[in-house]
Amino acid sequence: MVEASAALVTRGLAKRYGKRVALDGLDLRVPAGTVYGFLGPNGAGKTTTMRILTGLIRPDAGTVELLGRPFGRGDRRVLFNVGALIEAPSFYPFLSGRENLRALAAAGAPVPKGRVDEVLELVNLQDRATDRVSGYSMGMRQRLGIAAALLNDPKLLLLDEPANGLDPAGIVGMRETLRSLAAQGRTVLVSSHILSEVEHLADVVGIVANGRLVREGPIDALLAVDGEVRIRVAPSEVMAAGPVLERVVGAGLVRLDETPGRDWLIARCDPARAAELNRALAEAGVFASRIEAGATLEALFLEVTGSAPDVRPGAA
Amino acid sequence: MRLVRSNVRRLVRRPATLVTYLLLIGLVLLIYLAVIVASQQAVDPQSALASRMILTFPNAWFLTLSMVVGIGGLLGVTYGAAIAGSEWTWGTLKASVARGERRAWYALMGIAGAVVMAWAGTLLAYAAGIGATLVGAHVINATSDSIIDTAAFGQLAVLLGRAGLAIAMDVAIGFTIATIARSQLAGIGAGIGLYLGEGIIGVFVPGIVKWAPFAAVSAMMAGGEEGLGAAAVTSTSRLDPGTATLVAAVWLVVACAVAALWTERAEISG
Repeated sequence: MVEASAALVTRGLAKRYGKRVALDGLDLRVPAGTVYGFLGPNGAGKTTTMRILTGLIRPDAGTVELLGRPFGRGDRRVLFNVGALIEAPSFYPFLSGRENLRALAAAGAPVPKGRVDEVLELVNLQDRATDRVSGYSMGMRQRLGIAAALLNDPKLLLLDEPANGLDPAGIVGMRETLRSLAAQGRTVLVSSHILSEVEHLADVVGIVANGRLVREGPIDALLAVDGEVRIRVAPSEVMAAGPVLERVVGAGLVRLDETPGRDWLIARCDPARAAELNRALAEAGVFASRIEAGATLEALFLEVTGSAPDVRPGAA
Repeated sequence: MRLVRSNVRRLVRRPATLVTYLLLIGLVLLIYLAVIVASQQAVDPQSALASRMILTFPNAWFLTLSMVVGIGGLLGVTYGAAIAGSEWTWGTLKASVARGERRAWYALMGIAGAVVMAWAGTLLAYAAGIGATLVGAHVINATSDSIIDTAAFGQLAVLLGRAGLAIAMDVAIGFTIATIARSQLAGIGAGIGLYLGEGIIGVFVPGIVKWAPFAAVSAMMAGGEEGLGAAAVTSTSRLDPGTATLVAAVWLVVACAVAALWTERAEISG
C-alpha cells in the first residue's frame, strides 16, 4: 500500500516555557489533501505547535517539514504557501477590512491583484469591506482572519479555532469552504474545541495531551478501534453476562459502568459487532434490555486525554 | 518598498498620526502666539526685543526649525513607540511573520514608514511656524523684506538635512524602545522617561550626556543662528554641530540595528 504524501510532518517537537513543558516530543503527520483535526485540552500544546509551524517561535528540539521541505530558521519562503490564523485574528482597528487585507498583502508572499476582493467574497464580507474593523463583530473578524489566511492561495492552511464567534451559517459556510479546499488537493489543519464540528469536518484527527500525540488517524478508524458497545441487562444477570462478552471481545475489554444507578456493561470493540454480542448473550440465556453501539469523538477525546468534565451536574 | 508604501498608506489613516500632527502644530502656534503677545509688552524691553528678533527674517527660518525639531523630538519618540508597540499589541507583526515576511526587514520598513510620516509632520509644523512668523511680523510691524536671503537658504538646507536626521533618530529610538517593551504604553512611557531623564541627568554630568541622542540633536540644530537657537547649555558641554550630526547618525543606526535584531530574535506569542 502506498502511503499518502504528507503536507506537514513534525518529529520530536519539544518546547518549554521555563519549567512548564508545552511540547514533549510531538510527532505529527498530516496527509496532503485532507482536513486534519488537531485536538487537545487547554494547555495541551496546540497553539505552541501552530506558532512553531509558522515560525513565530522556535522549538527547543525536533524538526518540522512543511510541504515536503524542511522548515527552520530562515526558511521563511516555505510560508509563502502556508496560510495561517493563529489565536485571535490580528488587524489594524482603524482600517477597513479591505485595507487590512491590502496591508497584510504587502508583507510576505506577493498577492495577485484582485485576490483581496476574491477572498472577501469567499468569506461573505464584501458588503462590509469598507467598514472599519473596529466596528466588526467577533464573527466578522474571524471571517476576515480566514480571508487573510487564504490571501496567498495556500497549499497548507493552519487554522486555530476558526469557528470562534461564528454563527451557525458562518460555521456551515466555513466548513464548506474548507472541504472544498481539501477537495482541490489543499491541506487544512484545524485546531478546535468544538468536537462535533471536527467530526463533521475532518478526515483525520490528531489528539494531543501534555505536549504529546496520544492518537492520530482517520476518524472512522479511530472510532472503530476505540468504539464501544453498551449493553443493559438485568442486575441479577450482570455477573453472567460479563464472561460471555469477554469471550467475544477479549479478556479485560469488558467493564461495568460503575456510575451509581447504572447497570450497563461496556464492551470495548468495533461498534459494528453489537449484533454479534447480542447473539452471544442470547445463546448464553442472557437477554439484553437495551444495546447502544458506537463511539463519539467526544468520548474518545475525554478518554485518551484523561480529561473529565469541568462542570459536574448539580454543581452550585 | 511595497512595505514602506503600505506603511505610509496605513499611517496616513492612523488617528495617532493626526493627533501627533495637531499637537506639534498646536504647540508651535501657541509658542508664536506667546511670542507675539510678549513682543507687544512694553514692561520688559529686553523680552520684547528678543521676541521681535524671533519674528524677524532670516533668523526666523532657523529659529522656527530649531523649535519644531525641539518639540518634535519628544513627539517623534512617542510616535515611533506607538507604531512599534501597536504591532505587538494588535498582533499584526505576528500575522506578517506568519506570512513569511523577513522580521528584521519588517522592523526597518516600519521605522522607515514612521520616519516618512514624521518628516511630513515636521514640514507641516515648520510651514505653520513660518506662517505664524509672517503673521507675527505683520502684527508688530516688523519688516519681512529679508525673507528671501540666498546665503541663509544655503545654511537652511544644511539645517533641514540635520532636522531630518534628528527626527529619524527620535522616531527610531521610540520604535526600538517599544519593540523591546512589546507594548505601546510601555514604549511611550519609557520613551518619555528617556527623553526627560537625559535632560535631568545632563544637569549633573553634562560631559557624558552631551553624547546622548537628544543632547546631540540639540547641539546639531544649534548650527543655525548661533546663540538664538542653541539650548541653554555651556559650550564645553555641547558637541560641535558636525560631531553632533555624526553622533546622531550613529544613534539612528544603533536604534535601527537593535530594533531589527530584537524583532529577528523575538519569540512572538500572544
